[in-house]
Amino acid sequence: MALVRACLVALGLASAAGLLLLVRPHRASGAVPPRSQAQAVERGRALFDRFCASCHGSGGLGTSQGPPLLGVGAAAVDFMLSTGRMPLAVATQQPTVQRQTARFSRAEIDALVAYVTSLYPGGPPVPRVHPERGDLVRGNRLFTSNCAPCHSAAAVGDAVGGGAVAPSLRQSTATQIAEAVRVGPGVMPRFGPEALDQHDLDSLVRYLLALRTLPNPGGLGLGFVGPVAEGFVAWIAGLGLIVLAIRWIGTTT
Amino acid sequence: MLLRALAAAVRAVAAILTLGDIVRQERPGPASREAAPAPPAPDARASALVAGALLVSIAATIAFGAAYALGAQTQLLAGTSGVSLAALAVAFIVWGQRLLQQEQITEERAPEPSPEEARRGAEEALARGEREISRRGALGWLLAGALGSLGIAALFPVRSLGPGPDRLLFHTKWRAGAPLVGIDGKPIRAADLLIGSVATVFPEGYVGDPSSQALLIRVEPGLLELPPAQLAGAPQGFVAYSKICTHAGCPVGLYRARTHELVCPCHQSTFDVLAGARPVFGPATRPLPQLPLRLGADGRLRALGDFTEPVGPGFWGMP
Repeated sequence: MALVRACLVALGLASAAGLLLLVRPHRASGAVPPRSQAQAVERGRALFDRFCASCHGSGGLGTSQGPPLLGVGAAAVDFMLSTGRMPLAVATQQPTVQRQTARFSRAEIDALVAYVTSLYPGGPPVPRVHPERGDLVRGNRLFTSNCAPCHSAAAVGDAVGGGAVAPSLRQSTATQIAEAVRVGPGVMPRFGPEALDQHDLDSLVRYLLALRTLPNPGGLGLGFVGPVAEGFVAWIAGLGLIVLAIRWIGTTT
Repeated sequence: MLLRALAAAVRAVAAILTLGDIVRQERPGPASREAAPAPPAPDARASALVAGALLVSIAATIAFGAAYALGAQTQLLAGTSGVSLAALAVAFIVWGQRLLQQEQITEERAPEPSPEEARRGAEEALARGEREISRRGALGWLLAGALGSLGIAALFPVRSLGPGPDRLLFHTKWRAGAPLVGIDGKPIRAADLLIGSVATVFPEGYVGDPSSQALLIRVEPGLLELPPAQLAGAPQGFVAYSKICTHAGCPVGLYRARTHELVCPCHQSTFDVLAGARPVFGPATRPLPQLPLRLGADGRLRALGDFTEPVGPGFWGMP
């Protein structure tokens, strides 16, 4: 009798432990870094099949809703995921350039990058940027001649026609900027290592980072829209006040 | 006799010149003056307001001087001077509205037509003047000749506005065999540009020359839809067009790589790169002139000649 009771208790404990193992809560993402490349690829495959394959096809071969990911490169995957452009909230939407929080953690993004690049090698790798090695003047020249026509001189972004928008660069990280340069996402052209080498990239990023901290000599930045904003303030606010003053002066007792 | 006529003429002219006085003498307009009310009790509040505003103005002016001496930050300078002037304005307005005695004076408008005597005098003076001039035929014609020749002479300096541009607008610095270089003077090789990439190029030795600026674009080789003559100048998907918009001359800096379109930021003229930079949107009517290219054995790109058409907006003789 005591033995039966002991066995029952042991069985109960074992099943409880088993149940606990089964209903183990989903660990906070990134709590356990993958220990090997193979683990990362495996984790990436699981994430891909769950979140990406519905549009990009299993194995990244593409469907009618999403393009194939053959040879896009680590930089493209990392850029799309870290800026929150992918995965799309609604499958039928086009990716927007508005800044969003990334849906995945850093470890999950790395896993997805490892998986997609394991499918088909090629494409630009994730660039390593060192802004402190860049040259501000060179960055200014490069930005003005290559980037400012679309992204505006103050890097606040602008519409580029055809429904496309060049986004603001004032919140982007150094790596994201470099990735966009190498990849050319959306309607943006791309610039390879022969056109803009590592020093050019460092200078460009250093200049863009410096733009955010420059003081505005005229006072308010007014959204960096340019002469339009200042004219708007002068005409609407300034003239409005003057007209009101004229009304007041003109009143007679 | 002559003296009496002269006197009459002088009197007539004087009458014309002093028409207003004559009118008033003959028919004084009723000028009413509202009896000025008894001066009101001095408005203490208004006085205090004016005093306060003036004190604020003085203080702001002193602050302006201090701000200038201590670093001249533009916002402070503008703020203090603005407050000073605004306070002065408030003081003036309140003073005028509340402290000054209001008095209204109206003067009726006098009847318009001049009196008969003045009108007759004016007509007589005019007729007399006309007879004076027409009586001296030769002198009159000479006067006309002198004034006319002066007018013609005034047109001569127009020529000094400078020579016409002549053939200047038809040529840039591009020549056959000129190597393409980037904005930093580095020669452009085929490997420098990826498919979907764009670069601003100049002829070697003329970096920064405004009329020679061109855009080098690399597209997938099979995508270009150009007639054979133009296709020969676009080897292996490398095609170059003038960067100067054919609408109003802005540099066409925006390249939408996915749809292969060049967009001008000024008025949004859009050019289709695959179809010879034909305008597909916006006010431009002429395609961007193409720069024919040659890909050398060393991988460097060179021009085959100048642009196929004059660059930039149309002009007289090149609509």
